[in-house]
Amino acid sequence: MSLSSAELARYHRHVVLPEIGVAGQEKLQAARVLVVGAGGLGSPAALYLAASGVGTLGILDGDRVDLSNLHRQVLFDTAAIGSLKVDAARERLVSLNPEIAVVTHAVELRAANVRALLCEYDVVVDGTDRPSTRYLVNDACVILGKPLVAAAIHRFEGQAMTYVPGRGPCYRCLFPEAPDGLVANCALAGVLGVLPGVLGAIQATEAIKLILGVGEPLIGRLLTYDALELRFHEFPFERRHDCAVCGDRPTILEPTDLDGECASATPESIGRLSAPTLRGLLDRSSGNSELMLVDVREPREFNAGHLNGAINVPIADLARRLKEIPPGTNPVFICRSGGRSLAACKVAVREGITEPSHLEGGLLAWASEVDPTLVVAAVD
Amino acid sequence: MKIASPLRSYTAGESRVTAKGATLNEILANLDQRYPGIRFRMVDEQDRIRPHMRLFVNTSEARGLSDSVRAGDTVHVICALSGG
Repeated sequence: MSLSSAELARYHRHVVLPEIGVAGQEKLQAARVLVVGAGGLGSPAALYLAASGVGTLGILDGDRVDLSNLHRQVLFDTAAIGSLKVDAARERLVSLNPEIAVVTHAVELRAANVRALLCEYDVVVDGTDRPSTRYLVNDACVILGKPLVAAAIHRFEGQAMTYVPGRGPCYRCLFPEAPDGLVANCALAGVLGVLPGVLGAIQATEAIKLILGVGEPLIGRLLTYDALELRFHEFPFERRHDCAVCGDRPTILEPTDLDGECASATPESIGRLSAPTLRGLLDRSSGNSELMLVDVREPREFNAGHLNGAINVPIADLARRLKEIPPGTNPVFICRSGGRSLAACKVAVREGITEPSHLEGGLLAWASEVDPTLVVAAVD
Repeated sequence: MKIASPLRSYTAGESRVTAKGATLNEILANLDQRYPGIRFRMVDEQDRIRPHMRLFVNTSEARGLSDSVRAGDTVHVICALSGG
């Protein structure tokens, strides 16, 4: 492939850089990059990759644009609300640079489709907001031998790292397992709108460097960014010989759905109670001490509003305070939206409680379906 | 100590706190006295650093809780983030 005169003009400020030149720009033109997640991180990453002339840009996201996305997801404008993200993204990216091809994948990345999707691309940029997808992407990149630029954000803080096959550690070497319901996502915890702009731009930078073969990639270094302090730090980490996917004796040989693993690892004895079902149980068991409500939120959340009769044992303290649950009682774990309470059930099962239950959808579901007067505190 | 964003609900939002001790174990015990529950978010029942957490003393990764810490060191508590 060669560059047209219009492209030479468009990319002039690249072409005059000795590190890029015409040959480098042609490498970008020939490159295929997949952006997983058209969210806060994927938005700036995709915009810069498109503007930079990456010839084929894949955008993978199954969601639609929501009003609450717009404070950080700069790919979309207000008129795009309700549209498939990939459709709105393609329109914006092709408008920015009609010289490139934008390929859309309006799907959720799963073990069943990850091979077919990733094998079409040279570099993967991971901007997903789901731990299960984050580990699936990492594992698939290791197994398929694809370079990966990963980043994640939380409130005012971000992280980024780059994996290149055979040249350094993978994401699992850094964090072998996903947090188990203990780390809130952006919707619960909030996020500074401009934060993913910084991290997404770093991801685009890394992807471009990998394509050009210039500079020093973020391999074996975790870059952290604290927007409140305006400080970057970097922490070196090494490949783990016992890493489950890139170690000496890997146990993950095929990409696997993490949430599937969790689901299969969830004992069938865990009861999942809807808000109306729990209400019915409480009505019937009035004065019956066999049912014990255990609210696993933080004390500040508990004090703002909780169900009558519930005791407060924050999830982090649960394992050592399980003895407060008398033998013969069936604990029902409760939290804000159902994530921490499910994690609490797993802790309880591990510690020998045979039939824990949890309130599916949490107190948000209770407030929505049973008692709208209940005050449900936001997460810090 | 530099506290990871998801754990700051324990430290009243503070990103930097001080703790006393000659080892990471002592540091975390001291920290937990002031911010009850925070140690258990970093360390499991078998005293292993949790798989989604990493502790660094200055820029060197801690291998275990017996690692020594000197006056003036910064312990960075790093947690896997999941937002995108």
